[in-house]
Amino acid sequence: MTLGLRCLLFAATWTLQLPAWADEPLVVAPATSEVRITTDFTGTEVQAIGSMRGPADLIIKLVGPQQEAKLSREIKLGPFWVGGDTVKMEGAPSLLFLYATAPIATILPPAEQQKYGLQLEGVPVHLEPHLQAHAEDDWRKAFFRLKERQGYYHEDDTAIKVFGNRLFIADMRLPGDLQVGTYTVETLVVKSGKVVGRNVGEFKVRLAGIERRVWSAAHDHSWIFGGLFTLLAMLLGFALNAIPYRRSR
Amino acid sequence: MELFLPIAHMDVNIVLILFYGALVGFLSGLVGVGGGFLITPLLIFTGIPPIVAVSSGAAQMAGTASGASYLHWRHGNIDFKMGLILLIGSWLGGGVGVYLAKILLRAGQFGNVVVFLYVILLGFIGVSMLIESLRAVLRAGAPAAGDARATLASKSLPRTLVERLPWQTAFPASGMRMSAVGPLVLGAAVGMLTSLMGVGGGFIMVPVMIYVLKMPTKIVVGTSLFQLLFTTAAVSVMQAGVNHSVDPFLALILILGSVMGTKLGARLGARLPAEKLRLILALVVVAVAVKMVVTLVIPPADIYDMTIEVR
Repeated sequence: MTLGLRCLLFAATWTLQLPAWADEPLVVAPATSEVRITTDFTGTEVQAIGSMRGPADLIIKLVGPQQEAKLSREIKLGPFWVGGDTVKMEGAPSLLFLYATAPIATILPPAEQQKYGLQLEGVPVHLEPHLQAHAEDDWRKAFFRLKERQGYYHEDDTAIKVFGNRLFIADMRLPGDLQVGTYTVETLVVKSGKVVGRNVGEFKVRLAGIERRVWSAAHDHSWIFGGLFTLLAMLLGFALNAIPYRRSR
Repeated sequence: MELFLPIAHMDVNIVLILFYGALVGFLSGLVGVGGGFLITPLLIFTGIPPIVAVSSGAAQMAGTASGASYLHWRHGNIDFKMGLILLIGSWLGGGVGVYLAKILLRAGQFGNVVVFLYVILLGFIGVSMLIESLRAVLRAGAPAAGDARATLASKSLPRTLVERLPWQTAFPASGMRMSAVGPLVLGAAVGMLTSLMGVGGGFIMVPVMIYVLKMPTKIVVGTSLFQLLFTTAAVSVMQAGVNHSVDPFLALILILGSVMGTKLGARLGARLPAEKLRLILALVVVAVAVKMVVTLVIPPADIYDMTIEVR
């Protein structure tokens, strides 16, 4: 075991959070408390390291902050496909990753999966405007399908590595286009179809460095930012064309 | 080489964006269009949110047009009097267009109106330009007889109408006399399209100035760029102010690319005869129109599409 890992585990023992109903002692230390989005950010790997007692299955649920999405549907008008209606989808997490040591359906019965929100298509989504039940169902299905295709909702039963039935490491790969906010990492210990241990941690994703400054300027002083930047763009375009032109004269 | 864009909130390949900029700059230097009709769809295909694509595209066009305008000014290709009249028109039209866009947005029809405007306008202009410029290119080898016929044909209905309008004034740089109403209305129409379609309007302004106002092609290119510069600059400032949607990194990379392209285009434009320039513009316009029709007709892979509202 590396020295860093040993220190981490030591620190984790100090901040040990015992769930009120815990049958199984479970310690999880997310190796990251903050993900900073900078110029060269193209996604990152977040690790959760922990220890548990004895052989058991593990589920790690990574949930991103909520995000408002707009879904639109194309309709056929004569020979053309044109934009039809749009619906706002609210309340769903921007990202939902379910990691497990085995396919979740094989280690937990549906009722338990539902209780702990372990179904990709089971997260609550509110539609605006409200539609009839079967129509809402179509939109919901489309929402989950798009989320899964874009890689924001997925289930993975290979990402958790367990060592000697006690120590585990989960590598969670986050995409480059991340919603800023708080991400929660919920770890569940599963034995014979029941959740017997639970731990919740979190980390933050935020813009850092020049990205942060640009974003703030564009939002807090939008008119000044727009005016100055447009001027800069014009000057740059002018300078790049004019200076070599003069030199060649 | 990847770069994270703070406003678009995604990472993009710098080389790809540079290439887009160069492509658009090349067209801009060659035929005087800003390339908004090209850059916006290209950026959206890359996955950049439409509003960021439109707004950053405007900033890029302002940057490119300032450089290109300077080059044309040095060559004496700008009719400032004409440019100012066009500009007054386009700012007025732009204001009306913003209001119109708001009404359409509220009715939920904005997207459809924009697409059909694109197809109809680009299709009509592109095809008529293509026919005309092909004739001109074929005629170029023939002697004076063909030119006489061309002069005769140019006394068309719109031309005589323009001659009868009030506020007749001289445009020395273009070497012609006409009513100020013509360019004012043209500017207003283009300004409205800038608000509705996120384009500089060069692809409409250039053909109208060539075929209806009968201005010399080289002056048309310079003057169109001059008008474009101030229209897109105004749009860029407003988009940043109202929608916070101008991504500075994106716009700067596009400008760098387009400056390289513009030089190449302007150099080639000075060497190519006017009718060939028009033929190139016609081909580009037709190609974009065809592409849009194709995307309208082909059934989408997924009829649903998702956009993220707030980051």
